[in-house]
Amino acid sequence: MTHPGYAAARKRPKRDFFPVVLVGPAIFLLLLVGLFPLIYSIVVSFQGLTMTDEDTSFQGFANYAQLFHDSRLWESILHTVIITVVALPLEVLLGLGMALLLLDPIRGRQAFVALLVLPTMISPVVAGATWRLLFDHHFGPINEVLGWITGHEQALLWVVMPDLVYPSILICEIWQWTPFMFLLLLAALTGVDRSAVEAAEIDGATYWQKLWHIELPAIQPVMIVAVLIRALDLARVFDVVWALTKGGPGTMTETVSIYAYIQGFQQFETSYTAAIAFLIIALLSVLMTAAVRKVEFVR
Amino acid sequence: MQLLRRSLLMGVRLAAAALVGTALAGTAMAQSASDRAVEAAKKYAGQTITIVWEAGLQSLDPLNFSGPKWEKLTGMKIKVIEVPTAEMFTKILQEHRSGSGAYDALNVIPSWMPDLVSAGALEQLDSWVDKFDYRKDLQDISPMFRDNWMKVNGKIYGFPDDGDCFIMYYRKDIFADPALREAFKAKYNREMDVPKTWADFAEVGAFITEKMAPKTYGAAFFRDAPYAQFMFQERFRNEGGKFFDANTMKATINSDIGVKVLAGMRAENKFMPPGVETWGFVENLAAFATGQTAMTISWPPYGRWTAGYGTDDKVMSWVPKTQIAGKVGYALPPGGHPELAAGFSLSVSADSKNKEAAYLFIQWLNSPEISTERVQIPYTLRDPFRDNHYTDPYYLSRWPDAKYYLETLKQAATYGLLDLSIIQTDKYEEALRQGISRLWAGDDPKAIADKIAAQWDAITQKVGVEKQKAAYADWAGKSAAYPK
Repeated sequence: MTHPGYAAARKRPKRDFFPVVLVGPAIFLLLLVGLFPLIYSIVVSFQGLTMTDEDTSFQGFANYAQLFHDSRLWESILHTVIITVVALPLEVLLGLGMALLLLDPIRGRQAFVALLVLPTMISPVVAGATWRLLFDHHFGPINEVLGWITGHEQALLWVVMPDLVYPSILICEIWQWTPFMFLLLLAALTGVDRSAVEAAEIDGATYWQKLWHIELPAIQPVMIVAVLIRALDLARVFDVVWALTKGGPGTMTETVSIYAYIQGFQQFETSYTAAIAFLIIALLSVLMTAAVRKVEFVR
Repeated sequence: MQLLRRSLLMGVRLAAAALVGTALAGTAMAQSASDRAVEAAKKYAGQTITIVWEAGLQSLDPLNFSGPKWEKLTGMKIKVIEVPTAEMFTKILQEHRSGSGAYDALNVIPSWMPDLVSAGALEQLDSWVDKFDYRKDLQDISPMFRDNWMKVNGKIYGFPDDGDCFIMYYRKDIFADPALREAFKAKYNREMDVPKTWADFAEVGAFITEKMAPKTYGAAFFRDAPYAQFMFQERFRNEGGKFFDANTMKATINSDIGVKVLAGMRAENKFMPPGVETWGFVENLAAFATGQTAMTISWPPYGRWTAGYGTDDKVMSWVPKTQIAGKVGYALPPGGHPELAAGFSLSVSADSKNKEAAYLFIQWLNSPEISTERVQIPYTLRDPFRDNHYTDPYYLSRWPDAKYYLETLKQAATYGLLDLSIIQTDKYEEALRQGISRLWAGDDPKAIADKIAAQWDAITQKVGVEKQKAAYADWAGKSAAYPK
């Protein structure tokens, strides 16, 4: 015998479609603007499409096969890696240092923090153009200041000479994005439980011991997120390098984003550019998945 | 008697009618190309023509002068889309691919025309040229521009509208300095004349730097790769270089001549102002206009601005004030065959929804009457390109040496060399630009030339050797492809 109440409970409730009606258009729109370009790009990457002719025939995996023989592409990936592995640790270290310096309340701290994060608010291409002016051989103040320091006129060609182009890009990149790191780490450090730090102080821990064993582990999740965000940003760095060197001299500082741009919008190799885009997506997905697993961030 | 009077009256009437008829017919015959365009365009009054124009000073022509004037004459409006030069080709192609019909008329660099025509982006103009009786007016365009910047496969796709060419500017006072000339003669056992060869140029430039730097250096050029690649193209051919083996389509840019030109370009930087490797159009102009350099090579506006012509206009406030007005001489660059670098032709977009109206606007712009006014607007960078521009009395009177300036421009238009224009030219130029930037970075000229040649061969393979061979044969067959 079935209890009448149980039968009522088992009765399926009437489905309410109202929420679906509400979110449906938004989901459809998201799929349209998000999924359609993705699918379209996949299709294009198997064609032989260029902007200068009408040929839309399928080429199989020809574009993907070409990726493996394109030395300029792999060089551009290497350049991107160089910029990332140098800039990222420096941004973390400098950002952390600045955050630690400004952790304790000092007079005018808020204004100082606001000023320090200003570079992050500037568009990267404007930052690049500004630094190009600063590095200018003729009118730029950097050579001028170096001249004062060294006592003789400096004629450094920052965006031309091979041994100076990477430093100039890195200086600009680090100048602009260290404040981002600083801001996140400052917020994280501010949230660290002070009682644990005070207990360690009572136990006689040094400044470095407190930092290493208490504060850094406490801010690790935020730091990892910040590093991942910046790593992704650096993996697609374009504006600063374009404004400073346009990837030159030759292709010496050409990043993978610049190479993809040149292929797509200067050389009009539409299908090949789509293949490059998917290679980048694949590489970054593998790297990011590995990174997330490594730090066990997903737990 | 009455009969006689009647006959006389009839005769007078007939004669008067004949005179009026002849006068009317004469008026119709004499109606100019610009008038014909205006009359025909009146039926489009109220409509808007969108035209792509190079961003910056160039665009002030349709914005401040020709656009408002056309609107007043026809009632049509002109909307100007300003696009930086480096993006014009891309924007035009993108718009064509999207098929939006957003552009009606276009400014195109002539070396792009084969690619744009092949992509179907440009409208053929022949039928309108005949309909509006413009063919004879095209004959007044300087032959070099008319024969090379107008047609693709024998059909008209653009009206040459900007007589771009490189000419050499030099300081007359420095070359006339008796002490310098004497010292030069003592050192080189010849007169210090304006260089006619690149070997002369290297000697004269180095000598002036030795005697006058840092106040004045022997020379400077724009060395930024997009500009410098034009200079390489010019110099390479003046020295006897050929871009390709016409039989195999293998790149021959890494020949001894190519390596010599690259090495020579870098060697000259030593007597140019420090940092010249980064100089573009403005830096080079600033140095010459303020007396820091004795020679330079550039497009025609340098000649007007260093003479002080039109630079008081508010929009020209960014142009460095000339300190050398009256001291500038004009000559063809060493080798005698200057690059007709870039230039612009006026075209109609194949996707325009208002093609005839767009055509009429560009006919009017390009007509002898209106173009003569436009090439004298100091701020718009449009340079003489019609025979009458070089002899226009008003232009000749613009500044004391204008006569010599216009004579030199006419010579440049006569002896100039075309930019390389084959299928996907920009890819070849991109390889050149990269090579030149590596040259300034200190790479070995031979290695650079070999790499450019390898890149060119790869591009040719991708385009298709036979296809590119035909395009190259077509281009190389033009009178101004290589020095004769």
